[in-house]
Amino acid sequence: MFRSPGLFSRAWVRRAITAIAVIAVLAVPLGFDEYTNQNLARIGVFAVAVLGLNVVMGYTGQVSLGQIFFVGVGAYVTAYGATHGWNIGVVLVASILIPGVIGLLVALAAARLGGLAIAMLTLALPIVGVPLAKRLSDYTGGSQGLSSAFSSAPEWSGLYNDQWQLYVVLVVGGAVFLLTRNLVRGKYGRAFAIVKSNEAVAASMGISPYRYKVLAFTVASLIGGVSGFLYMAVVQFTSPETLSLGHSVTLLASMVIGGSASIVGSLLGGAYYVLAPQLANHVDPNTTELLQGALLLLVLFLLPGGLVSLPRVIARKLRRNRPTGGADRQQSSSGAPARGRKAVEEAPTMSGIPTGRPE
Amino acid sequence: MAAELTLTDVNLRFGGIRVLTEVGFAVAPGQIFGLVGPNGAGKTSLFNCISGHYRPSSGSITIDGVEVLGTAPATLARHGLARTFQHPALRLGATVLENVLLGAHTRLPGGPIEWSLRLRHLTRSERELRTEALELLDRNHLGWAANRRVDELSHGLHKGIELCRALLSRPKLLLLDEPAAGLPHSEVEQLIETVRRVRAEEDITVVIVEHHMGLIAALTDRVVVLDHGRKLMDGTAAEAQSDPRVIEAYIGNDAVDDAA
Repeated sequence: MFRSPGLFSRAWVRRAITAIAVIAVLAVPLGFDEYTNQNLARIGVFAVAVLGLNVVMGYTGQVSLGQIFFVGVGAYVTAYGATHGWNIGVVLVASILIPGVIGLLVALAAARLGGLAIAMLTLALPIVGVPLAKRLSDYTGGSQGLSSAFSSAPEWSGLYNDQWQLYVVLVVGGAVFLLTRNLVRGKYGRAFAIVKSNEAVAASMGISPYRYKVLAFTVASLIGGVSGFLYMAVVQFTSPETLSLGHSVTLLASMVIGGSASIVGSLLGGAYYVLAPQLANHVDPNTTELLQGALLLLVLFLLPGGLVSLPRVIARKLRRNRPTGGADRQQSSSGAPARGRKAVEEAPTMSGIPTGRPE
Repeated sequence: MAAELTLTDVNLRFGGIRVLTEVGFAVAPGQIFGLVGPNGAGKTSLFNCISGHYRPSSGSITIDGVEVLGTAPATLARHGLARTFQHPALRLGATVLENVLLGAHTRLPGGPIEWSLRLRHLTRSERELRTEALELLDRNHLGWAANRRVDELSHGLHKGIELCRALLSRPKLLLLDEPAAGLPHSEVEQLIETVRRVRAEEDITVVIVEHHMGLIAALTDRVVVLDHGRKLMDGTAAEAQSDPRVIEAYIGNDAVDDAA
């Protein structure tokens, strides 16, 4: 989280880089073909779903196997609202709030039980969800599902549908990523992290593990709802199959592969979710699942921290290969000698001469 | 305002095992109070009762006259109680500063929606607390380590980091669970100096569980000696050290008989 002071820590440099990045991202839909745009939009949809899962599982350490359920509920609410002519703003809000309320109710019960209870209860969600979606056919269209082309590009925009949909994903998904990034830093990020690593310590810091688990789970459900809305905007069709348990497990694998407790990792997880089956299919259509499994094992074996840790791992490898760098590393990683050295360096502080610490 | 702590007839049972029996004592505001006794005497259990992690089966615990028995630890922390743990419980992969900042949780305003929007007054209070945390680390000779990962540092430093984390919450009652355990002699000296300085600078009551009699003698105003979950005596550290019941509890009956 802390960079050494330099060019990139200056406010205006970072602001300029952000501005350039935003413009570049907004130009993307115009520059690619339809197939690529659709793929990118789907990556965005599942990156948001993985992001939600990361809040509850990556950051807060509560195993959730039900994330796809909230994505599915969000998609169904969107489809229902869109086919019944609701205002698009109302559709968006409902597709977020309804999964959020369900998530809150589930969490109020599950977090009280603690331990594996959350995993078990969330496991039940997709298992119950699929037959429920089939049964409630008045609202869900039963096994046939619901389709709605509410996200076609409006006339005034002059865009193709795929471009318009990708813009929807970029704007809505981008906002969710930004809000979530803000939340998992600072006060709430620290609170989630200590609930994950030690609940007794969390409690003695004034952080009720129960309340923060419920909070994390509710936020994950809200984000799942957003993902469902975007899913409907991009795929324009949802059926009971959307919220099946298999997808939930794949979401979990995508989170781990992208990088647990990482914003960028969520994005990479979304990319894995969409691209891994395509890649495997491209190599050999008969062994898609096997190849995906092999890919999963390969990533976990080589990069236990997920794809997001790749730059760090490479940097460490490079440092180890340099003899001088290696010696330096050894010294700083063993506590005692490093401390002795520091104590000498810090001697002036103790004698009362202030150090040049920035205020 | 330093807190006043009173325990009356506290009993704690785990199933059929009596861990604490009728323990009672009073700690005056601003005191440094020692809780001593041989291994298994129930010191840490008593600590966990005060901090709300255990719920005594009967008795009364009041802080500033308010009954806190059965109050959740998170609630107690919000009302000015802070503690350290016998085995430092830090996030090893995070930096020292991030660990210390956790102590300021209850001092930071704002709910999850406000933090998601990164409102300006929140980022300002976060920045101010960062500065305060760095100053606190500096005063405890840990300023140099602020941006180090905790797992790169020694056990003794972990104890110091945990103390800083507890202090950043600006507690009125601070519980230290074996702060000197596993520290070399030189660091114990520094710890004594630190606790003294904390008491002088902050308006705070300190309760210490400790085996290290040197530290207890050097620091505490009063002590309570526990043995087998019962209060053996209370008084000053010097009185405790010369009390035959205490010597018996620590060394055993035979030793006393032999000496006699």
